[in-house]
Amino acid sequence: MKANRGIMLAVLGLFCLAVPVFAHHGFDTEYDQSKKLSLTGVVTKVSWLNPHMRIFIDVTNKDGSVTNWNLELTSPNNVRRQGWGKNDLVPGDKVNFEANPGKLVESRGALRLITKVGDNHPLFVRGGPEAEQEGYKGDSSK
Amino acid sequence: MKRLFVISAAVAVLAMLPSLHSQDRQTKGKPDPSLVAPQDVDKPAPRLPDGHPDLSGPWDGCWKTGKNGCYGGGTNNDMVQDLEMKPGELDSLLQPWARELRAKRKEKDEPYVGCLPEGVPRVNPYPTRIVESYTAKGLSQLFILHETGDSGAHRQVFMDGRKHPDDNDLFPTWFGHSIGWWDGDTLVVDTIGYNDRFWLDGKGTPHTEQMHTIERYTRPNFGTMLLDLTLDDPGAFTRPLEYTFTFKLLRPGLELMEFICLEDNEYGNAAGITPADESGEKEKRKEQKQ
Repeated sequence: MKANRGIMLAVLGLFCLAVPVFAHHGFDTEYDQSKKLSLTGVVTKVSWLNPHMRIFIDVTNKDGSVTNWNLELTSPNNVRRQGWGKNDLVPGDKVNFEANPGKLVESRGALRLITKVGDNHPLFVRGGPEAEQEGYKGDSSK
Repeated sequence: MKRLFVISAAVAVLAMLPSLHSQDRQTKGKPDPSLVAPQDVDKPAPRLPDGHPDLSGPWDGCWKTGKNGCYGGGTNNDMVQDLEMKPGELDSLLQPWARELRAKRKEKDEPYVGCLPEGVPRVNPYPTRIVESYTAKGLSQLFILHETGDSGAHRQVFMDGRKHPDDNDLFPTWFGHSIGWWDGDTLVVDTIGYNDRFWLDGKGTPHTEQMHTIERYTRPNFGTMLLDLTLDDPGAFTRPLEYTFTFKLLRPGLELMEFICLEDNEYGNAAGITPADESGEKEKRKEQKQ
């Protein structure tokens, strides 16, 4: 099960390499595409602000300290047009997520995929019309 | 889990297709859920009470995806990709100074990442509407609305028969001065008076204040709006450019939404990037031309 999920993430990651993250500027300038981090944490804030929405997640590190990740998505309007509502992810939700870290500030990441713990359906897959087709809620490729 | 694996396999195949660099935003033969249903696309274009085609939309101008962003209704992040140019083609179209400037520009310096407008013929990645405004004098103005809010909310097109202002009254602006008219079922928009501050794509393709655009909009069917664009700028290009762009109708229920770009623009923070002050670039270019 875990292995299969890993394969899925890896394959989605491969797909994402060819698809833009953000609508109006490139991805490489700010984020390290060569690093993909898979983490688990607790949502502290969902920011529906322009130009790109953000999700803040507390992740407990190996040494017990906590890092609050600031993860960039795409325009909140684009996310809403794909059917994601404001109650679909709220502070306190436990999530698994994958991100590309920022080139200078690692914990400022570009969100690749996010799934609530215990739910196999990702809420958001970057560049993922496949996700929409399969009934997931989330981003389009814009 | 088996289902997920099947999805993964399908995605893997898609990811390896060369066509991915220029494809519709759809997969596995299924339609894009944000666009009008395929069975409705070829239906006749609806008409307004005045008999003209209804161009109101909202229209999606970024329904194609490539490695350098979405496009379709105009240029966006890369003219070479968005206009499907051959290698070297854009270089041959640009004046030498413009070619050099494009090569030197960096994405972080583009005005749009600082929430300034994209100008014409760039299409913002969010929906567009065309609104005809009737007054007691008839169709007096037309507005092209973009969802990007403070990065260029609307263009104003005068439909009342007026001409462009004389040079003394023509002040360069991001969207210029537009006059329009109907030519049969084609909406024609003629624009001069652009400033030279915006980039024609995210790669930094420049233009000058000499730029003159003629846009011809048609709606051949229910789901499609075409834009035949002529861009003439002898200051930056070696000849006029002529391209056809395609917009697709969003599905019913999807509308333009509020988009205030500056409310939380954190561009550059993750990488310690400070966007450059574009205002100095014009002076530098003048020096280069002398």
